[in-house]
Amino acid sequence: MAKLTREDVLKLAQLARLELTDEEIEEYRSELTAILGYVEQLQSVDIGGLRPTNQVTGLTNVMRADEVVDYGYRPLDLLKNVPDVQDDHIKVKRIIA
Amino acid sequence: MIDPAVYKRYRVTIGIECHVQLKTKTKLFAAVNNDAREASPNTLVSHICFGLPGALPVLNEAAIELAVRAAFALNSRPQTFSKFDRKHYFYPDLPMGYQITQYDEPIITEGSVNIEVNGQTKKIGITRAHLEADAGKTTHPAGADYSLVDLNRAGTPLLEIVSEPDMHTSLEAKAYARELYLTMRYADVSDANLYYGNMRFDVNVSVSDSDELGTRTETKNLNSFRSVERAVEYEIDRQIELIEKGKRVVQETRGWDEAKQKTISQRNKENADDYRYMPDPDLPPVVLDDNYIEKIKKAMPVLPCEWRRRLVSLGLDSSQIEILLEAEVEDGQVNYLSLIETLLDQPEVARQAANWQINVEIPLRREEQLPSVYSNNERLGLYKWLYKAFKEGRMNSNQAHQLLQLALRESAMPSDIQKYAESRGLLQESNESAILEIVTTVLQENPKAATDVKDGEMKAIGFLVGQVMKKSSGKANPVVAQDLIKRQLGL
Repeated sequence: MAKLTREDVLKLAQLARLELTDEEIEEYRSELTAILGYVEQLQSVDIGGLRPTNQVTGLTNVMRADEVVDYGYRPLDLLKNVPDVQDDHIKVKRIIA
Repeated sequence: MIDPAVYKRYRVTIGIECHVQLKTKTKLFAAVNNDAREASPNTLVSHICFGLPGALPVLNEAAIELAVRAAFALNSRPQTFSKFDRKHYFYPDLPMGYQITQYDEPIITEGSVNIEVNGQTKKIGITRAHLEADAGKTTHPAGADYSLVDLNRAGTPLLEIVSEPDMHTSLEAKAYARELYLTMRYADVSDANLYYGNMRFDVNVSVSDSDELGTRTETKNLNSFRSVERAVEYEIDRQIELIEKGKRVVQETRGWDEAKQKTISQRNKENADDYRYMPDPDLPPVVLDDNYIEKIKKAMPVLPCEWRRRLVSLGLDSSQIEILLEAEVEDGQVNYLSLIETLLDQPEVARQAANWQINVEIPLRREEQLPSVYSNNERLGLYKWLYKAFKEGRMNSNQAHQLLQLALRESAMPSDIQKYAESRGLLQESNESAILEIVTTVLQENPKAATDVKDGEMKAIGFLVGQVMKKSSGKANPVVAQDLIKRQLGL
């Protein structure tokens, strides 16, 4: 398969919010191309209408009753993991001008 | 304003996506209270809502039941197999970095909603409806260089209902939004409180002067029927004007500015392919068996279309019916339809009660806060008494209206209503001897009219009855009065 372009890698990096050096971009061009090539090989196998396997546990309908559960901590304590807090809100870089 | 002749050359195509908040007690995947309306920020949250490493989402069974109900309400059946997928994008209101939704195997894959516009019924197709978790809420303090995130709403269960592009006017779009609202309310799927954003509409609009579809725009997050109608109108005009000027419509997401009544470009950051959907490995698929599905089907409440059928059979017209259907869900505490339903085997009583509800009780309740001390049975008793008194000529229509208003305001009980009506002078005088006295006086005072009537000029009798009514302060029964006048004059 044709090698991924620099733009392809930059697009993926942007979607994953990763900043890459020029060196890394070249490295991923090769590595990602190899991975995609491997998947291409797999795709050539005839699996004759088999359903895709999304899960391997065989479980279905794992559900809970519609009741509040006390998880054993104060919800507001979750904010202790947050880098920046203001008035019990998570403070982030402005997202609308 | 666009020249109607120009307007006519374009074909408008509209599809609507609607997010309906399901009325569960807890979130879709976390056992956390779902009612974020009045809660302080970040108090209805958990490790699951925060997307902490290792947190395991577990599906709320009530959400599945409500989605099954929605399927029947949309003239469809739920899929026996459906699954959940991750839709990836980065935004501060989405802590996990992906939204859990249903991509290629949603719980509902077809359906329809019937709307009525200008007396014509039209079927709007439903492409699909899928379950998904809502995102958090962001606020942007004026002048600040930051935004604030509250995750109370994150994880709230939504059903996204996607219509076929079957609508072609803003009126159809509005009618569809309203019908979907009524349907979800009657099916008891959602509180569908528009004020709290329980239903949000995204409208896709395109125009074209050829056989091919035009480029569409999507205006997001409309929260009233009126704004759906206005946003569609605005987009149609904007797009036609662009094309008429030789410009192109750009495919984009737009927002609705309620104050300015216009749509505003909100450029899309990512395309659908960029969402990198994948099956969520944490959530096993949902497999529904026929017993479960049939059990829910059997318990389905009466839906608007069935109510319309019943109410039409009582001889109510469509605008009266729509008033009742809306009031029933908007007045929360008061049951208009079940009262009528109790009376369906006595159609005349039911029709009269419906009319009184439409003309007296519903307008009164919209204007005033009425004490809500009546049980359904007591209110029914009140209407039944009123009907009987009216039918027997003990009250005229005007007196019945007045009595109903007073009784509702002061919570008069049906057991005391006879005395109550008497004490307020709202009963008609049907006692012949009492009326006869007045009739005799009136005939003496109006000899000319009396002679006219005797000579066969029956128009004059109306005048005489009028005089009797006046003298009795409107309380005399006009039928009895007319009868007595005729008898007195030997007719």
